[in-house]
Amino acid sequence: MVNKRYLARRFLLMVVSLFTVATILFFLFRMVPGGPMSAIMSPRMTEAARQRVIENFGLNEPLWRQYLLYMWQLLHLNLGESFYYGQTVKGLIVDRFYNTMVLMLTAFLISYTIGIYLGAQLGWIRGTPKERAAMIVVLLMRSTPVFWTGMIVLYLFAFELNMFPLGGMRGVGAEYSSVSGKFLSVDFLYHLVLPVFTLTTFYTGLPLLLMRNNLLEVLSEDYIDTARAKGLTNRRILFRHAARNAVLPVVTAFAIAIGFAVGGQVLIETVFSWPGLGREMVKASLRSDYPVAQGAFLLLSTIVISMNFLADLAYTYLDPRVRLGGT
Amino acid sequence: MKQANANFDFDDDAPLLEAEDLTVSYSTSQGDLIAVDDVSFTVKEDEIFGLVGESGCGKSTVAQAILSLLPSNGMIPSGSIRFRGIELTELEKRELDSLRWENLALISQGAMNALNPVQRISTQIVEAIQAHREISKQDARERTRELFETVGLDPERMDDYPHQFSGGMKQRAYIAMSLALDPDLIIADEPTTALDVIVQDQILKRLKELRDELNISVVIISHDISVIAETCNRLGVMYSGKLMEYGDLKEIFANPYNPYTLGLQNAFPTLRGEQADLISIPGSPPDIADLPDGCRFMDRCPFATAKCGEAHPPLESVGDDHASACYRHDIIEEMRTDAGKRDTWDQLHAEVAASGGASDE
Amino acid sequence: MSGETSSPVQRGEGQPSQGWRRFVENLRNSVQEQAKIFVQSRMAVAGLAIIVFYVIVALVSPYIVPYGPEERIYTAAGEWAKLQPPSLAHPLGTTESAYDVLSQLLLGARIAMFVGLLGAFMVAIIGTTVGLVAGYYGGWIDEIVMRVVDILYGLPFIPFVIVLVTVLGASVWNIILGIALLYWLSTARVIRSEVLSLRERPYVEAAEAAGASDFRIMGVHILPNVIPLAALYAAIAVGYSIVAQASIAFLGFGDPTVPSWGVMLQRAFVTQSFGTAWWWVFPPGLSITLVVTGAYLVGRGYEEVVNPQLQEK
Repeated sequence: MVNKRYLARRFLLMVVSLFTVATILFFLFRMVPGGPMSAIMSPRMTEAARQRVIENFGLNEPLWRQYLLYMWQLLHLNLGESFYYGQTVKGLIVDRFYNTMVLMLTAFLISYTIGIYLGAQLGWIRGTPKERAAMIVVLLMRSTPVFWTGMIVLYLFAFELNMFPLGGMRGVGAEYSSVSGKFLSVDFLYHLVLPVFTLTTFYTGLPLLLMRNNLLEVLSEDYIDTARAKGLTNRRILFRHAARNAVLPVVTAFAIAIGFAVGGQVLIETVFSWPGLGREMVKASLRSDYPVAQGAFLLLSTIVISMNFLADLAYTYLDPRVRLGGT
Repeated sequence: MKQANANFDFDDDAPLLEAEDLTVSYSTSQGDLIAVDDVSFTVKEDEIFGLVGESGCGKSTVAQAILSLLPSNGMIPSGSIRFRGIELTELEKRELDSLRWENLALISQGAMNALNPVQRISTQIVEAIQAHREISKQDARERTRELFETVGLDPERMDDYPHQFSGGMKQRAYIAMSLALDPDLIIADEPTTALDVIVQDQILKRLKELRDELNISVVIISHDISVIAETCNRLGVMYSGKLMEYGDLKEIFANPYNPYTLGLQNAFPTLRGEQADLISIPGSPPDIADLPDGCRFMDRCPFATAKCGEAHPPLESVGDDHASACYRHDIIEEMRTDAGKRDTWDQLHAEVAASGGASDE
Repeated sequence: MSGETSSPVQRGEGQPSQGWRRFVENLRNSVQEQAKIFVQSRMAVAGLAIIVFYVIVALVSPYIVPYGPEERIYTAAGEWAKLQPPSLAHPLGTTESAYDVLSQLLLGARIAMFVGLLGAFMVAIIGTTVGLVAGYYGGWIDEIVMRVVDILYGLPFIPFVIVLVTVLGASVWNIILGIALLYWLSTARVIRSEVLSLRERPYVEAAEAAGASDFRIMGVHILPNVIPLAALYAAIAVGYSIVAQASIAFLGFGDPTVPSWGVMLQRAFVTQSFGTAWWWVFPPGLSITLVVTGAYLVGRGYEEVVNPQLQEK
């Protein structure tokens, strides 16, 4: 029987987390310069408009009522209007959301695959000169700030060598009819290369190191001796026995990693002018477009929390001890 | 399932397993430490051979050496291990792999951790079979069913995961797996440790059945002499890397010649639960990094004299298929009587305690 | 990965003042023992050398910089000396606003080391305290703490600091606030695990049986054994904090009046000069990389020598 209790608990955690984050945001944005009103009212509004907003948002009501109203609106996915663009926040960030996800997920997929594979290999050949050299490379990759790497990559491949575009998601003036056209065109992929490459150098370090460490621990387990005693090939022992067990903590660590990974995403979107959530949030914050900043953060947080939950699901599936419960 | 291993030219006249002057060492930050020192023994067909001794005496290292499963810092600087005449220490991994499980199988201690927790048990057994035979998964699974029945497990449960089995069941599943290819020899390293007495009994019975019905020889490694007594035809008593007494089990138990063996016999309850008082050997084995010049057992032996301090005694024959390493065989009768008395050992307790005492065994 | 010391630290109880004395004694012994272990790792010593070097630079730079961070450099013709490549007068060239890069670089070390060390310190203090309390008390306290940690993991770090800065203003202290609020989570988890196992040790049980107060047990018996692990995480936090501050500054949320490597890179990026002015882009980035590497080496090198020793014992 699938261990439903565990999943139910994690799901509940997800809901509570979302709720808490929204609450924290509510209180934080009341502290903006100009008072809580400034968080909702654009400085360009007329007096009549202001009055309307005060009524709609209950800004003259007691705090707890405002809070409830805020939550109610959130549940209806009403995130307000942008001061800058004059369109709804929701419309704006949904569009940016896809752009961010394409970049982030592509980079995650590549970096976790590479990281886990290389981590297992490096753990297996521990102590050899090749491994030591590789570890130095990994160390450097983890120590360089990702935005600087992005700048260097842009400098080398775009400015100097002219191999890739200088930024943006598509060529200027490009028009596409379908979703697949939008995201699978050569032009798009061409723009995707450098940001994905940079993000991958940033993301790969964690799964690689974790996998390597876990593998070293797993290799000292008795069932590895059993596998050897059965006369299996090294390849089989490494992947079907050792790596399969060592990968479990990497999945759990995903939860910790993703909060920082999103930070990397924000930086790379800025460097490469990628029109995603992160870049939108930065721009909105710099020009005090509070509704957008709030909405973008909320969505980013939701992404983190949801991916945590997905990692829990994945872990449950991968570890039969959790999936099936004990005897 | 039996299939002649085409890769090897076995010598039919040679004993099944023969260790000769085997020495195993580990390289550590404190230098090379010798865990097994010049040990020789033979295991014949259709027999159960036991290696008994305290933890750390090197018996598990012998098992690992036979299967070439030493950790990366372990090595065999001298001596040989021959399986049916084939020198195991000179084989490459590929050659070893074809021997492994096919002719030489392992039952390791604590099947708790010796089965891959994220794979079904059937998968692991099928894997063992398919690694050595060209056979379909269906047939391998069929064989797995047979094996489960042989060891008394419900074949319906063969697709379970290890954590869903109890300790005793896991051990039996492991035994089933080791039988998959009809090996000639099984090395069982502490097969019953951490299992309760009733399950222990069942496991040991099965091991005897393997010998009697399937003509499989077993090497049992244990610190529990009653386990050895229950199952083995012949045994070797190890202490601090050396073989202290060796030969036919009935002979040794009837007429033990080595003080260490005498001490061991006192220290364990028999499986049938005779209410003899336990007398433990005080002190603990010498530090492997700092071995004494003389007899390794000297500091804990009630019968040691100055002569014992010069060099570790060689194994000398004291009967038909019976050898012991001791300088004091001449007073053996006296030793046997005294060893049964609590006072003999208590005196040692006091001496050991006075000299700043090590832990009790 | 565990940071236990091998020899259990002091047992026995006494008067409150003796308790404090014993705590300090245990701490000192622990530190000395760890220092001996530490110097066995060449990696750790090398890393420490790098950190110390930058601390020194941070301390003396105001006195040795050739120019002010916003001191305009003029050419012979009286114009701004913008984007000058490296020369004898300006070994690292000038920026788009005609400032001396080297001076900015040297002064930038101050904020880097300040944020790095303060951030690490806070991570260590908060993470260790939370982990200690949760691990030792267990039960519902542990549950609550762990749930809070789980929830806080849902806040992505850089966006959160952006919000803080948006709401509270662009000051270094708000970045430090962000670090204090979010960076301690991993440390707390790890320390908690460690404390859970240390709690079962005989000398702790003995102290409990002797009627020692919780505070004394935590402070005198458990804490000193957990400090190596906390130090390890603190070392890693140095690197993370520096990168965090640089990243926030790069995005434009840094304090523009404070010279920092992040701000330097931000100016280089925003003025689109990074395509040409490599002398402006490489030094700050390399400095960040170097300091973070140094901190990591300290942590990793130390961990490498502590663990095998534990295993051999």
